[in-house]
Amino acid sequence: MLWVALELPELPLQLLERASESAPPLVVTEGPSQRPIVACANDAAQVSGVREGMTVAAAQALAGSLRCVPRDEAAEHEALERLAGWAAQFTSTVSLEPTGLVLEISGSLRLFGGLGKLLAALKGGVRRLGLHATFGIAPTPLAARVFARAEARGIAVRGCTTLPDLPARLAELPLFLLEWPGRTQETLADLGILRARDALALPRPGFAQRFGPEALALLDRLAGRVPDPRVPYQPPARYKARLELPAEADGVEAILFPLRRLLTEMEGTLRGRGAGVQGLDLLLEHPGKRSTRLALAFAAPEREADFILSIARERLGRTALPAPTVALRLVAERLQSCTPRETSWLSGREEKAVSRARLIERLSARLGNPRVFGIALANDHRPERGWRPSNPSPRSAWDGGARPAWLLNRPQRLVAGATGPSLQGRLDLVAGPERIETGWWDGEPVSRDYFVAANPTGETYWIYRERREPGAWYLHGVFA
Amino acid sequence: MSAVLDPARVPGVWRGGEVDAASPPGIPSGHARLDLELPGGGWPRGALTEILHAGVGLGEVSLLFGALARIASEGRTIAWINPPHLPYAPALASAGVALDACLVVRPATHEDALWSADQALRSGACGAALFWLTEKTDYAWLRRLQMAAESGKALAVLFRPLAALSQASPAHLRLEIGSRGGNLTVKVPKRRGPPLHTPITLRTPGRPAARAAA
Repeated sequence: MLWVALELPELPLQLLERASESAPPLVVTEGPSQRPIVACANDAAQVSGVREGMTVAAAQALAGSLRCVPRDEAAEHEALERLAGWAAQFTSTVSLEPTGLVLEISGSLRLFGGLGKLLAALKGGVRRLGLHATFGIAPTPLAARVFARAEARGIAVRGCTTLPDLPARLAELPLFLLEWPGRTQETLADLGILRARDALALPRPGFAQRFGPEALALLDRLAGRVPDPRVPYQPPARYKARLELPAEADGVEAILFPLRRLLTEMEGTLRGRGAGVQGLDLLLEHPGKRSTRLALAFAAPEREADFILSIARERLGRTALPAPTVALRLVAERLQSCTPRETSWLSGREEKAVSRARLIERLSARLGNPRVFGIALANDHRPERGWRPSNPSPRSAWDGGARPAWLLNRPQRLVAGATGPSLQGRLDLVAGPERIETGWWDGEPVSRDYFVAANPTGETYWIYRERREPGAWYLHGVFA
Repeated sequence: MSAVLDPARVPGVWRGGEVDAASPPGIPSGHARLDLELPGGGWPRGALTEILHAGVGLGEVSLLFGALARIASEGRTIAWINPPHLPYAPALASAGVALDACLVVRPATHEDALWSADQALRSGACGAALFWLTEKTDYAWLRRLQMAAESGKALAVLFRPLAALSQASPAHLRLEIGSRGGNLTVKVPKRRGPPLHTPITLRTPGRPAARAAA
């Protein structure tokens, strides 16, 4: 067994700071609403002299434009749960701890090419989520947590991968890193027992008698003397995420940064579950309980953050936002199984079809659906009905006369004198006529003689003479 | 000394006086005479090509049909971006261009047209993107499209009026299309090699003027 622990110090602050590139002075407050105190302050606030434990009134006096956000423990727990879902791409055994996660990774080492590569992927991934975590590696989950907590407090530790090495690595660590009740810690400190080494060396029966079997069991689990099974986190069936912005965001550009964070997190979670989303709701929350909802839909299940972001950016660019944005929310009601696209084992043709579908989605997202279409033959001899937008056609080849590369949307009346029609010079009829007389059954009959005609500069056109209107010539196509 | 430094023997080097034979193979145009004049023996993949034409209806689009038919048969998409008229399905079908490979994009603005061309070329889905730009386009944008064509390994063709010939362009290949005696004439003012100023004359398939002359 090999465990990696992630410890997220100052999680309440991190949740706000990750949503923007440069956060304003910011504190998270807790305590009674009449007299709240500062639970944690970010760097920008600390520069102004704001410290943890101050009253909010004092902090506001020090930093002029201080944003105070009440601590939201439910949101913190949700964020940890989402991180657990995201971490499931590295191993199936992820479990939640009060201020972090533990992952059992011995089964994943081969897949990722060794511990070093797996840790690098994990650390890089956490950083891209905009979170700051410390890591601990140990053969027991508790020891891994102790290492991670030590690193968070600036105590230098080295990870450990084998059980025999563990006591030596734990020896010098202070006991307050263990989550024992305060009374136990105090008694041990009074006895001069401050380090793990001292506690592990105490006679077991006496320790259990004095501090209770619970405390001894914790010590045993720490050193790996007894097993410490964990319940893996089970993510919910649908995907929901919310990110509060540290300051009101005007316009689209300011939203893209936090949105990328959310989408990156979702991508990791979906990868861990082998899933993708075909429909995704993006909600922009505005002040006063108002919100703007964008429904994104894809041709196939998707999860790549870059792709979804590019679609969202185009949609946002065409959406007028009624007010500044204070929070973002993602909701995917249904997760579908998804073939990974980023790997190259797809056959060439399949890959082309996928990139074509994505191109069409991207273009339609920005330009609007009717501006992007395919063309197909239609089974009708009337030239203007000889094509239709999109969908494959029953007729696979054209068997009629010469047809121009361009067709005019609507035939254009030509100037015609006694010598015949003209268009930037007299038109010579070089081929034709081809009589097209059809359509009597649906009230739009045509009866025309088509010619290929060229003017003196060599421009070649497809024109017709309207048979029911003597002397009337029309331009219908261009041999481009 | 000359044997050591003979530029013809250094891969990737071509002399200004000769058509670059080492260019990556192009897509045969279906006109043997034209292929002789194009470096790589056809329309270049992964590069921007400009077709400059003095009017419309000279056969400037059908000149590409041979290459488009081949690209479509490879299963790659042909994007028509901001064409002046509808590409007419029967004409494409008779030239052997699979219609389901065609994608028509009609952007509302010049900016959207540039963006669409860029997206289409970069996507990797498009074997060819043909585009028509109504407004003057600056060099930087054309350079971006050239790079997009490179990254997507696509045939990128910009259709422009002849007047644009005097403007500098990052396109690797520029063709000037004219008409003489019912046939199509092609000059090559820019390519990897000496410019071709004496026009070559081509019959355009599907264009009946040539058939009538024959």
